Order: sequence, then C-alpha cells, then structure tokens
Amino acid sequence: MEDQEQQNKRNWHDRNYKKLLLIPLILIIFSLVYLGYFYHNNQDIIYKDISLTGGTSITIYDQINILELEQNLQDKLDEINIREIKDLTTNEQKAVIIETKSNMTTTKNVLEEYLDYELNGENSSFEFTGSSLSESFYKQLLIAILFAFLFMGIVVFILFKSFIPSLAVIISAFADILMTLVVVDFFGIKLSTAGIVAFLMLMGYSVDTDILLTNRMLKRREGNLNHRIFGAMKTGMTMTLTSLFAFLAALIVAQSFSNSLTQIFTILSIGLGFDLLNTWITNVSILKWHVKTKNE
Amino acid sequence: MSKKLTFKIWVLIIFLLFSLISIFGIPPSFLQKGVLITSVDHNSTAFELGLRKGNIIIGIDEKKINSLEDFLEIINSKYPSDKDIKTIIQTKNSEIILYSKEAPEIIVSKIPKTNIKLGLDLAGGARALVKAQNKSLDSKEINTLIDITSNRFNVYGLSDVKVSPVSDLSGEHFMLIEIAGATPTDLKKLISEQGKFEAKIGNETVFIGGDRDVASVCRNDATCAVITACNPDGAGSFYCKFRFSVYLSEAAAKRHANITSELEVNETSECLSNKESCSLEKPLDLYVDDKLVSSLLINEGLKGSDTTQISISGSGKGETEQDAYTNTQQEMHNLQTILITGSLPYKLNIEKLDTISPTLGKEFIHSIFLAVIIALIAVTIIIFIRYKNFKSSVTLLVISISEIIIILGIASLIKWNLDLPSIAGILATIGTGLDDLIIILDETTQKFLSLKQRLKRAFVIILGAYFTSFVSLLPLMWAGAGLLKGFAVTTIIGITVGVFITRPAFGDIIKNFIKE
Repeated sequence: MEDQEQQNKRNWHDRNYKKLLLIPLILIIFSLVYLGYFYHNNQDIIYKDISLTGGTSITIYDQINILELEQNLQDKLDEINIREIKDLTTNEQKAVIIETKSNMTTTKNVLEEYLDYELNGENSSFEFTGSSLSESFYKQLLIAILFAFLFMGIVVFILFKSFIPSLAVIISAFADILMTLVVVDFFGIKLSTAGIVAFLMLMGYSVDTDILLTNRMLKRREGNLNHRIFGAMKTGMTMTLTSLFAFLAALIVAQSFSNSLTQIFTILSIGLGFDLLNTWITNVSILKWHVKTKNE
Repeated sequence: MSKKLTFKIWVLIIFLLFSLISIFGIPPSFLQKGVLITSVDHNSTAFELGLRKGNIIIGIDEKKINSLEDFLEIINSKYPSDKDIKTIIQTKNSEIILYSKEAPEIIVSKIPKTNIKLGLDLAGGARALVKAQNKSLDSKEINTLIDITSNRFNVYGLSDVKVSPVSDLSGEHFMLIEIAGATPTDLKKLISEQGKFEAKIGNETVFIGGDRDVASVCRNDATCAVITACNPDGAGSFYCKFRFSVYLSEAAAKRHANITSELEVNETSECLSNKESCSLEKPLDLYVDDKLVSSLLINEGLKGSDTTQISISGSGKGETEQDAYTNTQQEMHNLQTILITGSLPYKLNIEKLDTISPTLGKEFIHSIFLAVIIALIAVTIIIFIRYKNFKSSVTLLVISISEIIIILGIASLIKWNLDLPSIAGILATIGTGLDDLIIILDETTQKFLSLKQRLKRAFVIILGAYFTSFVSLLPLMWAGAGLLKGFAVTTIIGITVGVFITRPAFGDIIKNFIKE
C-alpha cells in the first residue's frame, strides 16, 4: 500500500520534474526584476545600516521613553533610528539603541543634553564609522562575497568534473542568495556588516545539501535514480530542518541582546527556507534532466 | 557489549583534554582566590616595590581577599587619608608594605575563570581605526606612526593598549588601536591630536615638543608639577590652574637666550614700583596644533639667560570644583604627554571609533550560552524524532559540544581574541557540523555496502563541503581591514577540527552502535 503510494509519487515526479523547474525560474525572474526596480529606486541592492553608510550608533543602558526621545531628537540628528532592547524573561527595557548618520561628537552632545547626564564608558557604548571607511568596507565585502562565490564554484567544478551538475549547484546557491536578498529588501531590513557575513554563511549551508544530492545522484549506482533522490532528500531535509530550527531557536534568544546576531539568524532562517526549494526542486530537476538525457 | 576505542576516538579524547587544559589552565584558574592586577602605574611606589601586572593579590593587612568586593571594601575604607598610612599587600609570592595617603596606583580585576580572551565587543574597551589625513601611508610610514603613538600611550599611562598596522583589500594601510577595559574619556583627543607643540615668542620658535628640544618633563612629582588653585569663575563654573617644569636641551636654551635678549622690558606701573614683577614686552606663547593654548609672561630676570628650566602653566574648567580639578589634571597630563613624545608626523583621521561598555559583556556571554544551549536542545529533539535512537542523538549532541570546546581550546592557545564575528563563526561551525553528522548517520544506515565503504562515502561528501566552505571564507580574512577576520578564523578552525577530528570519531562511535 505504502509502496504503491510512493510509486505514484515518483511517477508524478517523473512526469512533472521539468514543469517544476518553472517555479524557481519564475521566482528568479521575479527576484531579478524586483532587485532591478529596487536598485532603480535606492541606487543599491540593499538598505544599508550605519555600519555600511557611516554614522554613529549609541547604546544607552538605561530605561528611556523611546517615543519622547525620538520626537526630541528628530530635528537635531540626521536620520535617526531608535530601538529598545528588552529582557527576554521580564520584557523590561534594558537599553536603547540610537542610530544616526550624525557624527559621534554631535550625537553625544545632543543626547547628553536630553538625558541631562554624562555618557561614559560605563553607562553606554559608542560605535562610530566614518563614511569613507564604511563605503570601502561595503565594496570590499561585496568583493569578498564575489570571490567566495567564485572560489566555491571552482571547487564544485573540481569535485564533480562535470559541467551541468556543477552549474546546478552554483545556480541553487545563487538562487538562495538572490531570493533571500529580495525578502530582506522587501521587509526593509537594513543590513549591517554582520548581515553581509550571513550571506556568506548561507552560501556554505546551501552548498552542503547540493553536494550531498549531486554526490548521491551521480556517483552512486545502487537503487534507481528516484530512490537515490528520495534517500538524499531524507538526509538533506533533516540537515536543513535541523539547522533551521536551531537558528529559529537562537534567533528568539538573540533578539534580546544582539542586533548583529539577530540579523545573522534572520537571514540564515530565510535562506534555509529557500534552500529547501532550490535544492529539492531546482537542483533535483536540473540533475534529473541531465542524468536522463545522458542515459538516453 | 564491547565498545572499541579506535584511534580516531582516542584522538578526539586527547584533543578534548588538551583543549580543557588550554582553556582552564593547571591548576584550574576558577579554583584560585584573590584579585588580579591588570595594570600598575610605572611611576608609582607600588611599581617600585615590585607589584606587576599579572600578580594576584591574596591578602591585604593580613585579611584574606577572596573577591573584588573584599579588595574594594578594604581599600575604600582606608583611603584617601590625611596622613601616610601603612598597607601590607600580600601576593602569591611576596609581600610588600606601602606607606601613602592615596590608594595604591593599581587596577585590579577578578581572576578570569578561563584563559579565553574576549574581544572588545564582548569584554568592553575601545577600538579605533586611524588613517592619515589626505595622505596614503605606506607600511614603513605606518610603522613610524605606530611607534610614536604607542610611546604616547605609554607616557600617558595606559598599559593595556595594542597598536598594530592593518591593511585591507584595496591596499589601504590603517593603524588599529585597541584598548581593553575602561576607556579614557579623552581617547579621541589622545589618538587623533597630532600634538604639535610649539613655544614661540612673537614669530620665533623657542622649542617644540619631543626629545630634540625637551630634555625632560616633570610629572607625578608634587614639587614641580602641581595644580595650584581652584576658584569659581563668577559665571557658575570653576577653573583651576596647573604648573609644571620643563627642562630644555642646551640648544633650545640658547635659542631662548638669543630671542629674549632682544626684547624690551614692559614698564608697567606695577613694574616700576616692584622690580620683581617686571616682565618682557612679548610673552611666551604655547601652541598645540597651531592653536594658542596659553600665553606666559616672561620675567625680566630671564632676559638673555640660557635657562634650561622653564615653568609651564595653564588652566582647566568644569561645572563643579571637582570637575574642574579633574579636567585640569587631564589638561596637564595631555600637555606633558605631547611635550615628551613630540608631534605625530601626520594629521590623523579617526575612521572608526568604537567604545563598548564592559558592564554588559558578562550578560552578553550568558545570553550567547543560552542561545547555543537552546539551539542544541532543539537539534537533539529533532534528531531524536527523526532517528528514534537515543544513543545517536546524545552522541551527536556530545560531538557538537566537543567541537565548541576544541575551538575554544585552540583559541585560548593561540590567544585569539573572541569577538562577536568569532562567535558567529563558532555558530556557523556548529551548523555545518550538524549537517555533516547527519550525513554520517544517514550513510551508515544505508544497507548496500560494507560499513567502511559507507563511512568513506560520507566523508567524500563532507570533504567536498569542507573545501567549498574553506575557500569561500578566505576573502574575508582581508576584507574590511580585518575586522571580520574573527569569523573566518574561528570558522576555519572549527570546520577543520570537525572534518579531521570530531566527525571521524563520530563515525567510529556510530560504527560501535551499529555493530551491536
């Protein structure tokens, strides 16, 4: 009974795997169009936070009414963004983070005037980045990602010594990054340096399952092709889902204390979601197509 | 039920043991009592008597010191005092006896429980990335700059400072300054001020800062460097005056003689009535970075004299008398520092300046632990549901934790500063580690081939994934002036340890289970 059901499923996949490719294809085209539109509006493919545009971020370890603070600072500081950090268990405000494009001295003076006490190394943390430096940071991180992608591609080619399968891995990794980027942009998340690093991490996770799949499909002989795909899928799904749940769990905790880690986990969670799609639809379909054409 | 401890499992056990030793030391540092001296002022009596950074104070005045609170309670109850009082400080190897009015000039902290070095964003401190203004420096010029800056920090009395050159992908050279612990309030000034000191009479320079003209500067000696008086300024604030002596080189003294000999005496009415208060027509103007900071009248008696000792004075302001005093002390300290170290060869721009409060670091680390533990529990539950095998799930958890321990062990050994990017790196390792462990679990349960062949297959996939991750991390070693290097380094350590030590051992352990 169960066997019969699986047989049906596989037959369904045999009939439709090429059509399935339309899903990622449409998503990729949509993503590219969205990014193009986004670039047209914002002159960049992401929203950058002050670690990439330059500016000051001040964390004050005190309980401050953020609405009042925001109203008061609005016209005194350049492009402010205020957030609060809350204790995970008591939900009590622990600190306030003020981000602005203004420089450190101005920001500090304005805040001290509002709070009526001195901000020092004990009650606050400051992070200032000059605009020229952050601009070059951003450029270099993009170059780093580009190179990472390139190196990854080369290693994949060396591993499989076959054009289409290697390309399939690279396309899946690219689609993961692209689709995640669109979601991040759509929700207006401002990326920090940590966020860009997260994309680099995503590349690693994405490639893991793809290599597993390619290896099982191309280098194994036992069972039929569908059998091998299904086996790989069981392992790969476990891998991705475990990581995904671990990240979601960590995300809940990280939210209460670290902006950078929150961003990393958010991006990885979104990315792993897309990785399920891109490994088990995009990559599987391309590979199956490749194997079937080769066998005919 | 016979468990075979294979070579790979032994390697894992040995690495784990060494990592634990590297993290906690022998004897384990969390068993030690006392407080750790983190810095001693080089000009203090405490230093002369032999107290050094790294010593552990175990007792004061025969009373045992178990914690920082004990130490502060005793010191705060004794100092400051009106007269010299006796204090016996016992360290692990010696005992010193101090007589003073002020508390010993040392900074202490709790004994760290582990040898793990925490980066600034976790432990607190300051970090600055500095570049020359309008000029691209080559590595030689950066090194000169670093020498002078380090010297300046030394003279200023900051000991826990690391100044190093960094460069980024675009070939730009920076000076990276890292200060652990509490941050001096005037850090920005200390770093970026060029500190070009000039003493001029009219347009002629008498002497400049640095050892060419200045033989020595009196500091920390109440007989020749003092804050003389503090008074209200009439507008609700206070101001204080300071004065300290500077000893000039002979060449500078000659210049002083030549220039002053041509000056007239300013014959004010006061001067006519009292010869002592006569001064020359032009004052000695002190400039710091081309800004006039003080104008000193030159006593008639100094006209044409090649005096080597000059008294420099100035003032500082503050809202309260205490503030004014502190600020004045600060001003004096700054001036003394640039007089000794001389000017920096370039005008500097602070490109990045982060000061992180040390108070939140501890809480931060607790939160990270919490995040990791919750994530690991989530993983264990999923693995248990998937494989319905208690032993495998627990082993997987244990292997994951040993990977973290070994990464921390290696980090302590190479004295790597664990910062936030490094923590992200450790998390990345745990993630890919789990992926690999799941591959091993799944491959070993496939029933087509011999167990050995199955494991071999698992490692073909794992090695492939390893090399792709490895190469994709490399560019990050250099991008962004190395500020994200921590991520690349810890991840590379982690995945290497994983692929060559922990995951093979996992394979062997799983083999044992399957054989049963």
